[in-house]
Amino acid sequence: MKTRSFALGCACICCALVVPLPVGTAAAIDDQQFNELKDLVTKLGQKIETQDQRIEQLEKTHAQDAQVHAQDQKTHEQDQQKIQELQQKLGETQQAVSNVQTAAIAVPVEPLPRVPLDEATVNHNFSILGDAEFQYAKTSGQHGTFLFADFAPIFLYRGGEKVLFEAGFDFGLQNNAPNSPGATTTINLSFAQLDYLMNDYVTLVAGDMVLPLGTYSERTAGWLNKIPDDPLPRDLLPGAGVGAQLRGAVPLGESGKLINYSVWGVNGASSADGTGNADQLDLGGNVGLRSDNAVANLHGKPSGGARVGWFMPFKPHYDLELGLSGQSGEWDNAGQHLWSAGVLDASLHLGSTVEVKGEYIRSCYGSDDHGNVRPEGWWLQASYKLVGLNLDWPVINNLELVNRYDSIHDGLGTRTRRYTLGYIYYFSNTLLFEGGYEFLHSNDPTQKDQLIFQLSYGF
Amino acid sequence: MNRPSSLKSRLWTGASVAVLGALLYALSSVFVPGAGAKAEKKTEKRVEKKPEKKKLSGAELYSMHCNRCHPERYPTERTAAQWKTILLHMRVRANLPAEQSQMILKYLQDNSGR
Repeated sequence: MKTRSFALGCACICCALVVPLPVGTAAAIDDQQFNELKDLVTKLGQKIETQDQRIEQLEKTHAQDAQVHAQDQKTHEQDQQKIQELQQKLGETQQAVSNVQTAAIAVPVEPLPRVPLDEATVNHNFSILGDAEFQYAKTSGQHGTFLFADFAPIFLYRGGEKVLFEAGFDFGLQNNAPNSPGATTTINLSFAQLDYLMNDYVTLVAGDMVLPLGTYSERTAGWLNKIPDDPLPRDLLPGAGVGAQLRGAVPLGESGKLINYSVWGVNGASSADGTGNADQLDLGGNVGLRSDNAVANLHGKPSGGARVGWFMPFKPHYDLELGLSGQSGEWDNAGQHLWSAGVLDASLHLGSTVEVKGEYIRSCYGSDDHGNVRPEGWWLQASYKLVGLNLDWPVINNLELVNRYDSIHDGLGTRTRRYTLGYIYYFSNTLLFEGGYEFLHSNDPTQKDQLIFQLSYGF
Repeated sequence: MNRPSSLKSRLWTGASVAVLGALLYALSSVFVPGAGAKAEKKTEKRVEKKPEKKKLSGAELYSMHCNRCHPERYPTERTAAQWKTILLHMRVRANLPAEQSQMILKYLQDNSGR
């Protein structure tokens, strides 16, 4: 606009200079000046034209700018509207979250349905069970001592649905022999067996097996026993044997009653020095391999054994179990003498507070020096959990009183009777503090009364 | 020489154990209901005919069997996969019937730690 005004101004000035001049003055302007003026006017006209074009172009640009501005304005308005909508939605979402949180607090959370792990991608077939014990003992006439610390893990490996390999170890610590310094850690293999489920009623077990002569040997962990010491007559039986076994159970109806059985063949007992003398009977020997790596079944034939059990539950925690088992086989290297044993076992539960169980064990073996030796023994144990008294006392409810009477006659003249009065304090269902006093009556002068405390843990 | 039994009696003992073992296995496969496919069908028919008795639950069987030897363990102490391995061990050690063992396992897994 300014340029246009300037051009018009110049044109007006020119006209004003030319038109009002008197004739006399015009005569005074020569051609050259006229031409110069003419050129000037022409140039000014061109300039004006150029300025007009510029002005038009600027106006056009301005119009475009205005259009763009209008569009921007429109977009801005749309954005503002969108922001408002989003803010409104955010408010609604926050409100919904707040409502859900309030509802979640008010309503108890239902656990999600459990989905079994994918066995193909995750290996959880390996497990460790076991027990650990720590014992203090005071034998009459001797110093009290922390007798041992024992760790007994059981390693389980499940190979699919039907195969299980299980091995139990026993780590212990003991003082060295008199006049020898230090102590020795011992590691024993309690059992190592392969189990194969042949069908619903038969399982094949092979290896170094815990033998079901009675039920005690298979329930012998520290946290399962209610008294730290084993019953005396268990010394008349082997705890384990190397061989093979068939075992299983047959249910009788739907009430939980069942008959269970085991049949086994193992290398069996042996003689410590190979002879047939009675005091050389070694129930834990003859595993089939000598310490000098020679294969040595010390006698010609294996021992055979079997157990049949009957379990009759009345309702949960009320049941009676009876069993009859036995084993027989050669024991001396020459194969001249048989060792045999029979066990009658029983167990009764009356509610979750009362348990009574026991075994009668009778054995017989031939010998070179004492002829037929007939050891025998029995034990009976009863326990009562004081929680059954319904007293609202904190310590009492965790206590269980237990007592046991056991008797053994070794068949060679030594007879020992023992009465144990004890207790268990349950720190938890697997951590037990056991204690007991053992009153002994024996014609063996080395057998004496004993006070024992034991901390047991099962895992 | 003192021998409580003669050679004959030793042989008799060995043979008896072997025969007993073979008999038990054979009986389990042939006569025990549920050992074979045919037996399963027979069992199903029998169940259809007789009125159904109240079946024990996995929790009841767990209380019944496990309490025979040790204080009950909480199902949450192990994972579902661990219970599977442990129940296989306990089925052999405690001579549990297969079906009851499965019901106990299901109860433990349903209530397990993870």
